[in-house]
Amino acid sequence: MLNLFKIEWLKIKTYRTFWILFLAFLIFFPVAFYFSASKYMESLASSGRMEEQILKSMIESPFVFPKVWLSASWMGGLFFVLLGMLYILLITNEVQYRTHRQNIIDGWSRMDFLKAKFSILIFFVLVSTALIFLSGLLVGLVFSPANADVFNGIYFVGYFALMATLYLMLAYLIAILVKRTGLAIIIYFAVVCILDNVLWLIFTLKNSQIGYYLLLEPVDSLVPNPFKPKIMERRTVDDYTLVIAAVVYIGIYCTAIVSYFRKTDLRT
Amino acid sequence: MTVLTVENLSKNYRSVKALQAVSFSVPEKTVFGILGPNGSGKTTLLGIVMDVLQASGGSFSWMGEEGNAATRKRIGTLLETPNFYHYLSAADNLRIAAKIKGRGEEDIDKVLHIVNLYQRKNSKFNTYSLGMKQRLAIASALLGDPDILVFDEPTNGLDPAGIAEIRELIKELNRKGKTIIMASHILDEVEKVCTHVAIIQKGVLKTVGSVKDVMSGSSVGEAAGTTVLIELGADDLTALKDVLQQMPGVEEIITIEHHLQVSCNETVTAAQVNKFCFEKGILLNRLNEKRKSLETRFLEITGKQSDR
Repeated sequence: MLNLFKIEWLKIKTYRTFWILFLAFLIFFPVAFYFSASKYMESLASSGRMEEQILKSMIESPFVFPKVWLSASWMGGLFFVLLGMLYILLITNEVQYRTHRQNIIDGWSRMDFLKAKFSILIFFVLVSTALIFLSGLLVGLVFSPANADVFNGIYFVGYFALMATLYLMLAYLIAILVKRTGLAIIIYFAVVCILDNVLWLIFTLKNSQIGYYLLLEPVDSLVPNPFKPKIMERRTVDDYTLVIAAVVYIGIYCTAIVSYFRKTDLRT
Repeated sequence: MTVLTVENLSKNYRSVKALQAVSFSVPEKTVFGILGPNGSGKTTLLGIVMDVLQASGGSFSWMGEEGNAATRKRIGTLLETPNFYHYLSAADNLRIAAKIKGRGEEDIDKVLHIVNLYQRKNSKFNTYSLGMKQRLAIASALLGDPDILVFDEPTNGLDPAGIAEIRELIKELNRKGKTIIMASHILDEVEKVCTHVAIIQKGVLKTVGSVKDVMSGSSVGEAAGTTVLIELGADDLTALKDVLQQMPGVEEIITIEHHLQVSCNETVTAAQVNKFCFEKGILLNRLNEKRKSLETRFLEITGKQSDR
């Protein structure tokens, strides 16, 4: 797998679009996260409330330990669509340039090609998870009281890694099936931003928990919006079940990708 | 030893039968041409044996083994169009191909010299002309000095000098013992370069054999007994015609300006005609046994309709 990744790296290391989108994620997310934290904490301090209330609000703040891990993961998820888009581009480029055919002709098996692209997925997940961890740690250390429990709630970073994996697996499946860059990105955004939320809303309004199992909702629900008041939470499904649901989805997408690509004619 | 064997290979695209039970073998150290009009199934056939297309039926083997990634690593292939990363330089593109083939990078400069692209090795692929792209694809196929090369329309997009260079390169590779499988719709190219040829029309193999056998009509899939054409001239064409009509084996005599074109069966040779005429008191001032061109044979085999 490492050898396959090295070849993939040769393909992308001088690709300008890759660096633009990748650096946009690497820079914009931590900067935006830090500034949000900074502004939020400033507004708390200048809210004119009693000192005791300010202290209480600060402890429950989304930018101090332990909640900062959830906030970093949730906000990282918002920026992560950049990498989803980039991942689609890297796969559909191969079809557009017909290099997916050439890689096979030159001596990769079809599984080698899929594994090579999967190595990029792992790379994106590892880098983004590390970034979420470092950003959460930095913001937490800057804004938390001295006696805060740093690693309490760090499991949200793990949930982020699961979320990133499922988002990219969906992007992978769409890219392999749709092949055209523009259309694949539109479909991806339609699923991520619209379909996923609409389905969840329909079922949740009917007081059903099924919505939490659909498409990307298991991972979205594992990393809920930290600014949403708890009273609005309707989920009764536990985290453990949602993790299993996400893993099942990853397995389904993986199987679909492999069974399609191993048998298909490689055309543009 | 057989390099490639295809048996009853078929490919259907919905109702279109792109290949219909095609079978042949490519002998070692030959230049094997796959000749057919555009859309006849040449690229489909090569796509299947290189595993980018799935056959609807039949099988193939490379050097007696089932085709797989390991065998493809030992074959240099240019299929259809040059496929490279547009934003990468020629050298970087070849680096990727070499890594996939499991070869070192030491060959890259050498193959770029062979196709005269060394000076432009750091230019991006999207700045290349069509001919340069084609030459880069040939360079990529040469990486690792493979014993088998597969070229699909190798002279596509090249200028006349480039075409001559590539044809000479193919012959040179063959002289070094390489086996070359080459698809082309250019009859002249196949005739000049190939030792063997398979003619495909509408996905059906019409004939296969050595170029010599195909020209003479004794290749696989054809009825034997093709005629020999001899051009003859004498001072008195009428007398010559009268004499020739008496000769056994002569089938047809046509007068063309200042000479006669005689169609004979395959038992007749130019020497026999010369002797026969001399004995009948006619001195020939022209005697030319016309070799049939592959084009003539191709048209005989595939018909003359433009929808071949």
